[in-house]
Amino acid sequence: MSLPKLRSLQARIALFFVILLITVQAVLVLLVSVSGERIAKDRIAQDLLVGERVFRRLIEQSNRQLADAARILAADFGFRTAIATRDYGTIVSVLANHGARIDANVVMLADLDRKLLADTLHPEQRATEFPFPDLIALAERDRQASSIVLIDGKPYQVVVVPVLAPVPIAWVAMGFVIDDRVAHDLRAVAALHVTFLSERRNGRWTLHASTLPGPLRAALIESGSAAGSKVGLGFVKLAGEEYETLAPVLGSGPEGNVVALLQRSLRESLEPFERLRSILLVMTLFSIGMTIAGSVLIARSVSRPVNRLATIARSIRDGDYSQKAAVEGQDEIGELAASFNHMLDGISAREEEILRLAYEDTLTALPNRAMFLDRLQQAVLTARRTNDPVSVMMLDLDRFKVINDSLGHAAGDQVLREVAHRLRELLRDSDTVARLGGDEFAVLLPTGTSDGVAIVAQRILRTLEAPIMLEGQPVDIGASIGVASFPEHDDEGDSLLRHADVAMYVAKRANSGYAIYDPRYEEGRQTQLSLLSELRRAVENDELSLFYQPKIDLKTGMIRRAEALVRWIHPTRGFVPPVEFIPFAEQTGYIKRVTRWVVERAVQQAGEWHRDRLDIAISVNVSTRDLMSNELVDLVAALLQKHAVPAEQLCLEITESSFMEDPARALETLGRLHALGVRLSVDDFGTGYSSLAYLKKLPVEEIKIDRSFVMHMVEDEDDAIIVRSTIELGHNMGLEVVAEGVEDHSGMEFLKRLGCDQVQGYYISKPLPTPQFVEWLKARRAVEQKPEAASA
Amino acid sequence: MRALVPVVLLAAVEVDAAAVSAMVTDAAGAPVPEAVIYALPASGKLPATAPRPAVMDQINKEFVPFVIPVQLGSSVTFPNKDNIRHHVYSFSPAKIFDLKLYSGKPSSPVVFDKPGPVALGCNIHDWMVGFVYVVESPWFAKTAKTGSARLDLPDGEYDLKVWHPWLRAELPAQRVKVSGTDAQASFRVDLNPPPKATPH
Ligand SMILES: [Cu+2]
Repeated sequence: MSLPKLRSLQARIALFFVILLITVQAVLVLLVSVSGERIAKDRIAQDLLVGERVFRRLIEQSNRQLADAARILAADFGFRTAIATRDYGTIVSVLANHGARIDANVVMLADLDRKLLADTLHPEQRATEFPFPDLIALAERDRQASSIVLIDGKPYQVVVVPVLAPVPIAWVAMGFVIDDRVAHDLRAVAALHVTFLSERRNGRWTLHASTLPGPLRAALIESGSAAGSKVGLGFVKLAGEEYETLAPVLGSGPEGNVVALLQRSLRESLEPFERLRSILLVMTLFSIGMTIAGSVLIARSVSRPVNRLATIARSIRDGDYSQKAAVEGQDEIGELAASFNHMLDGISAREEEILRLAYEDTLTALPNRAMFLDRLQQAVLTARRTNDPVSVMMLDLDRFKVINDSLGHAAGDQVLREVAHRLRELLRDSDTVARLGGDEFAVLLPTGTSDGVAIVAQRILRTLEAPIMLEGQPVDIGASIGVASFPEHDDEGDSLLRHADVAMYVAKRANSGYAIYDPRYEEGRQTQLSLLSELRRAVENDELSLFYQPKIDLKTGMIRRAEALVRWIHPTRGFVPPVEFIPFAEQTGYIKRVTRWVVERAVQQAGEWHRDRLDIAISVNVSTRDLMSNELVDLVAALLQKHAVPAEQLCLEITESSFMEDPARALETLGRLHALGVRLSVDDFGTGYSSLAYLKKLPVEEIKIDRSFVMHMVEDEDDAIIVRSTIELGHNMGLEVVAEGVEDHSGMEFLKRLGCDQVQGYYISKPLPTPQFVEWLKARRAVEQKPEAASA
Repeated sequence: MRALVPVVLLAAVEVDAAAVSAMVTDAAGAPVPEAVIYALPASGKLPATAPRPAVMDQINKEFVPFVIPVQLGSSVTFPNKDNIRHHVYSFSPAKIFDLKLYSGKPSSPVVFDKPGPVALGCNIHDWMVGFVYVVESPWFAKTAKTGSARLDLPDGEYDLKVWHPWLRAELPAQRVKVSGTDAQASFRVDLNPPPKATPH
């Protein structure tokens, strides 16, 4: 086990149990060993005594069996008859014969005077004393007697029984030699090692039979007489093994004593303990294995959920609250998991609240600046991956400060809430509307292009056009919007916001509703801003003026129309060409203010000329933005009425591209203008890409062929074709066709041939200031009676 | 019944003829039955008396009586009163014989032609034991349950002897003089009965 592993809970639990187990088992093994040996030694002595008793009983039993057999034999009538013959030969042969029946190794016959009558071992020996008179004495009393005695130096189990006829007439002794088989039979029952030794009268010891294996017998003989002579209990060491020994004397006779050496090996006695120790060892190993496995399992069941909780804790740290701890079971781990989940819920709820507070504007409940920036970053990051455009809108209320100051903060707050509400209502859920602070709002359109965003901006402006009711009074609040898009304007979120801010500021300065960011705002931001403020001042201080360029009717040669063109005479810079400020005004939206001024001035002029019966219609250029609100319609209607100008005396020229942004809206505005009776003309016809089908829907009366075609039509065949087909197209659609940029007689003649209705250009007259134009017109009228002069 | 038996002379011997009463007791003084008392003339001259036949019954698998004294040359019959067979034998030196399995009365009686004890056994029933004691003299008697026996002897001098199957050692003869008056003798015998075999 490596050190790092030990640090884990499961390894420590396992180690603890393994050490505990080993300690307990070691103590157990020690106890078993120590007490085992002591018990074994105590027991062995007892066992030996018990064994000796058993041994003696076995010998007795064996003696009795042999005696019974001998007695039955002695009762045999033939046997008795043979004995009764007193014929020695007959007697010896009957002894041998009948003795063999019970496997006796020696049979002796003695008379009642204990004189040996016959001996199968020594047939020649006669009339000597019977060697075991004691046995006869015993047999007289008990009808049988037995002992283990030495005959010719060998131990025999000898039984003596009377020959009854029916009173004893002789004694028969039968001897059974004691050999290893006898010893083994005894060992089988007594469970002791049995060795038969003899001690001769001369003190010599002899081993006759034994259950000990050969080498041990030799060892016994070697330690020999010493072992035997020590009659009693004691440990004898044989071939390195200890034997507890008991040596009872079995019998004595004239030749000497027969001694049985009863032995029990200490090792054999210890064997159960050895076995116990082995079992313990095996059990220990098994238990250690089981303990390790069990501990690992238990520890795992503890540590695994803990690890899971740790993993979940890490994901909580990383802000992921989606993972819940699995609650398994009713145990502490389960409780922990449940508590963990409660904690998780608590944390996530609190964090949500904190986030809400941190990312939400409390007044409007819209996201605040921090959140907006966050979402913006996210949106930009996503957009970078998907290459989708993202647009940012900055919105600032125009008259909020006034409202706040005059009606109080409560009213201001109400305005902000209402604006927030309207914005939220208007925009999609996927769009982010935020209040950045004060009266500043921002909108994040994740998929808006700058063109599309312009439409959204217009819709926002329109929805804010509706007055807000404050204390029962309708209050108008305008707004200015700046737009910046990714990747068109920048590829960084905060830069986009800054750009939108710049655009918004431009829109505000221009009072144009919305402005789409242009890098030029940033390049010469100061110049631009000063130009804008100068333009504003120009509008207010009448630095602008209108020049008029006449249009000639090619059929009649009469001048009945003129185009009003704005001119800026800067007090210090002098004449500022329209191209230097008109596109800028269009971008910033200030063009609306310019258009308003132009329309006001033009209608006023038209009113004057109408009263002077000058009978000249005035065309005014209006921009795209003008078509996106009702302002123009209302303004025109009001001005026509105010100056008592017939509607047909006013013509509004719109560029072909101007209604492409929001055709429906443009169409609506045009429709309303048309309804007023105002003449409508499509300027710069042929430069846009409008479809004829669409053109057909427009409530216009005329189209103007762009000067670029007209200027070169005489020399350029292509331009000539365009001009001709445009004229034909216009006429086919029932429209009047006007050509501008006519600079010479041939051009006018060319157009006349083509059937063009009206022309304007330097050939007829350059744009003139009002007094000069009136002068020119009067001079022209004077010769109008002569059509030829018109062409001069 | 074991131990010594004192013999007491109870009466003087008649001149002509007289009875000798013998009393046999054991070592404990108890009367010894079934003891054979016989008298041998001190002169050694035995009268030529014809021996009388005797009977040794086998009743209920026992010899009845236990002991019968007979004069030398007597013939003894062994009638079997049981309804089973017996095989009576003897391996005693005084008379070796055997009567093979028989029932009722064997065909011929056994003639005891040597003095001395003859132990009788049955080869079928080991516990059956009986004795025929063959004496040369015609004067013999057997003690009754009281341990006493009576011998009618002509006047003269006799050696009075006692025998019993379990007698440990032969007792010396007691010399008695019979001269008209009754005489008395007593024997104290040392008996050594063998362990009783159980009938089965
Ligand atoms: Cu019988």
